[in-house]
Amino acid sequence: MKKIHIIGIVIIAVAIGAIFTTLNNTSTYASFTEAANEPGNEFHVVGKRDKEKEMVYEPKVDANKFTFFMTDNKGKECKVILHKNKPQDFEHSEQIVLIGKMKMPENEFEASDILMKCPSKYNDGKPQASN
Amino acid sequence: MEYINEHLWIGKLGNVFVILSFVFALLAGVSYFFAARENEVAPSWKRIARISFRIHALSVVGIVGSLFVMLYSHYFEYEYVWHHSNKEMPMRYILSCFWEGQEGSFLLWTFWHVVIGLVLQKTSKTFEAPVMATISLVQAFLTSMLLGIFVFEHRIGSNPFTVLLRNHPDFAYIPLFQNPQYLDKLDGRGLNPLLQNYWMTIHPPTLFLGFALTVVPFAYAMAGLWQKRFNDWIKPALPWAFVGVAVLGVGILMGGAWAYEALSFGGFWAWDPVENASLVPWLTLVGTAHLLLINRNHGQSLLAAFFLAILTFVLILYSTFLTRSGILGDSSVHAFTDLGMSGQLLIYLFFFLLLGVYLLIKNWKHFPRQAQEEGIWSREFWMFVGAIVLLVSSFQIMFYTSMPVWNKLFDLHKAPAKDAIGFYNSWQLPFAFITTLLIAIGQYFKYKNTELKVFLKKISISLVISLALTFLMIYLVNFDKPYYSILLFSSIFAAVANANYMFLVLKGKIRKAGASVAHIGFALVMLGVLISTSKKDIISQNTSGKSIESLGEKFSNSDNILLTLGDTLPMGKYLVTYVGRKKEGINVHFNVDYFTKDATGKLKKEFTLSPLFQINPRMGNVPEPDTRHFPTFDVYTHVTFALIEDPKEKKDNPADEYDAAKNHTMKKGDTIFSSNAIIVFDSLSTRIDKSKYKIDDKDIAVQAFFRVLDIKKTYIAAPLYVIHNNMIQPIASKVDEMGLQFMFWKIDPSTGKIEISLQEKKSNTKDFIVMQAIVFPYINILWLGAIIMAIGTLLAIIERIRK
Repeated sequence: MKKIHIIGIVIIAVAIGAIFTTLNNTSTYASFTEAANEPGNEFHVVGKRDKEKEMVYEPKVDANKFTFFMTDNKGKECKVILHKNKPQDFEHSEQIVLIGKMKMPENEFEASDILMKCPSKYNDGKPQASN
Repeated sequence: MEYINEHLWIGKLGNVFVILSFVFALLAGVSYFFAARENEVAPSWKRIARISFRIHALSVVGIVGSLFVMLYSHYFEYEYVWHHSNKEMPMRYILSCFWEGQEGSFLLWTFWHVVIGLVLQKTSKTFEAPVMATISLVQAFLTSMLLGIFVFEHRIGSNPFTVLLRNHPDFAYIPLFQNPQYLDKLDGRGLNPLLQNYWMTIHPPTLFLGFALTVVPFAYAMAGLWQKRFNDWIKPALPWAFVGVAVLGVGILMGGAWAYEALSFGGFWAWDPVENASLVPWLTLVGTAHLLLINRNHGQSLLAAFFLAILTFVLILYSTFLTRSGILGDSSVHAFTDLGMSGQLLIYLFFFLLLGVYLLIKNWKHFPRQAQEEGIWSREFWMFVGAIVLLVSSFQIMFYTSMPVWNKLFDLHKAPAKDAIGFYNSWQLPFAFITTLLIAIGQYFKYKNTELKVFLKKISISLVISLALTFLMIYLVNFDKPYYSILLFSSIFAAVANANYMFLVLKGKIRKAGASVAHIGFALVMLGVLISTSKKDIISQNTSGKSIESLGEKFSNSDNILLTLGDTLPMGKYLVTYVGRKKEGINVHFNVDYFTKDATGKLKKEFTLSPLFQINPRMGNVPEPDTRHFPTFDVYTHVTFALIEDPKEKKDNPADEYDAAKNHTMKKGDTIFSSNAIIVFDSLSTRIDKSKYKIDDKDIAVQAFFRVLDIKKTYIAAPLYVIHNNMIQPIASKVDEMGLQFMFWKIDPSTGKIEISLQEKKSNTKDFIVMQAIVFPYINILWLGAIIMAIGTLLAIIERIRK
């Protein structure tokens, strides 16, 4: 066997390893309902902030706790406890991705991280007359 | 309607340049194609081709110039200008405005290709026609992205000169445009505050020059395949490949520096898809450059060199597709929005991929076969292994980064794991280990064959020094991660071995030391990355005395510290005080003083950091970190939350009034928090001096006792629960020093739980910030390494061109 063949085999083995571990090391995009079916598993839930319901952030009590309500893309609403500071631009967020687990039976989503899409940052704003 | 004051002429001019640049790129491509066929008409084709490419070049300069004039003169009638700039913005950011948009960044890329093309016209000699044919074709594709015309109802490209704000589909019907003088009142939307940073004026052009340079080895490889000059292309392509390595490498690290200085994710690298998209082509370009080097010196690894040169350019196109098509969507913080050109990008990608694959397969049988294998003790063998390791490493990164693509292709719903960074790190660490190890030993091997004894003798000095330095470093930074310490060793080994090589073997001849210097730089970059990330210390644990654990939270993410105005809290080895805010233009600075305690317990002020918020009502407020640099470590801070309005300045807020009451249900021993104190429910008592409180003897009364603790003192609050004639008539208790009022209005005798309401004076709302602070040890090694790597590569290129 030539050295190049050995190298080839090693490459293929490592590449297959990379593919499999990568596929196993993922979370899943899901709805609140699916997350509730498997509490304890980590999910990514995409949705929109419920603008009607109250948000609670009291940094003086706990700077790393922020509570709000989110409606997922299937229309289900859920209380969310984010164990982080309230993102500064939260009010402007259009779309939210939460990373975390559903806590049962309280039916609260315990999020350890949040990603926000603020369309305002990239393409919002209509032309306005200034003075 | 006749609009007044519009400057439509410049748009028309710019558009003419766009059309000219596209047409002449195409013409240059076609004529270079015919010029590459060695027949009697070839010379006249070549003349046409050269002139066409120069007209194309002039037109691209014309496009760039027109867009600059529009931005500089605030012609907001153009959507691009309105979208990316405004009048307030300082002129020094005009460059950032230029390339903030997709069109501008494609333009920047096109512009660099023009510069490279003009140089190649002069320098590529017999390769001019085939190489320039490829580059002209690439240019035709790129300029088509700017055309903005409709063909069979499909829009091709997006043209910044023809899209007028008042015609834009999103805004065409807004009332403002009923006014013929609308321009008098119009201001632009402005530049994304994140990009208003000096790094953003130099990082994109450097990065795009790096991207653009990958086209040269690609075009040479294509020319070599096309004309069956399988070995000739290596020599001219080699210096270009290394220029690409240097420029793209510096560009990527500048991006890291920008992220570290201006973004607030707390570091310089996050394995974000946008970062990966530029790192992966760099890795394969490094592989390409080294394979070219093997081939140049020893004629081996030809097929691999072709493969990697083509792959690198295709990866650049794929990266552009990933970041610009919007497919990354949720998985990246700074993915760009789709401009409806992803289809066009895909065509572009597949065209060059298939062209490359076709030429490789077509020539498969004609490749010169290697007479014999590389010897195991030869430099070329280990360089080849190194290139392969880089290839596998980039495969792992790209496969994970492409998850959204797999989702779309196979209808999966996979999201990146929460600890994606850790996953990347644990995969990339062995690759980095092997690479640095190869860098250490590579130069001590000779081409063809090395005598093992000589090799071992030469390397042993470096090995011993490196082992000693590694243990010293482990001791110095208290390095407690065994898995990472193998990379610590191999990086130190790489730096030491190359330094040793420079002095012993090359005898300090700096001209020849380019490779060694570059490798030392790379090793230092790895070392800096390793130490600063694996030993980074988030010192902003919550020390405000209001422990989060007491709330019974399972996972408290205590990376943030709450600083109330004037309070001094311990943080890491410092004591910190939030001393106040200061407004400067659109920035609000939050000044935090850092103190150390000396032996006598006296506080000594060390420095002040002022992380800030950029206030931008239209695009949201953006935090910007502030970092104190020391030779051996950095203190990096950013404000994660703050009230934008200073509480002191609230006018509708008489300080003496009480705020709305908050209700709490408590049992004995429970703790609650007010904004300024910890409150503990101690006991209940029925032995009350009723006359003192003017309560009738037959009334039922219970008194609750609370301890109210602030940092210096303890107060007692004792509200009463009274039933008078079957009515609850509680008696409040105030702690005036703390501005608190307690009301006790319910008791549950069976459980012993009571309900109280707590009110705070509005003046209690002191200004505060929530801040994160991270210590990055030895991060300067990283930046130093980057500079050394660039210098080394430059030296190597100069030497190579001189030969």
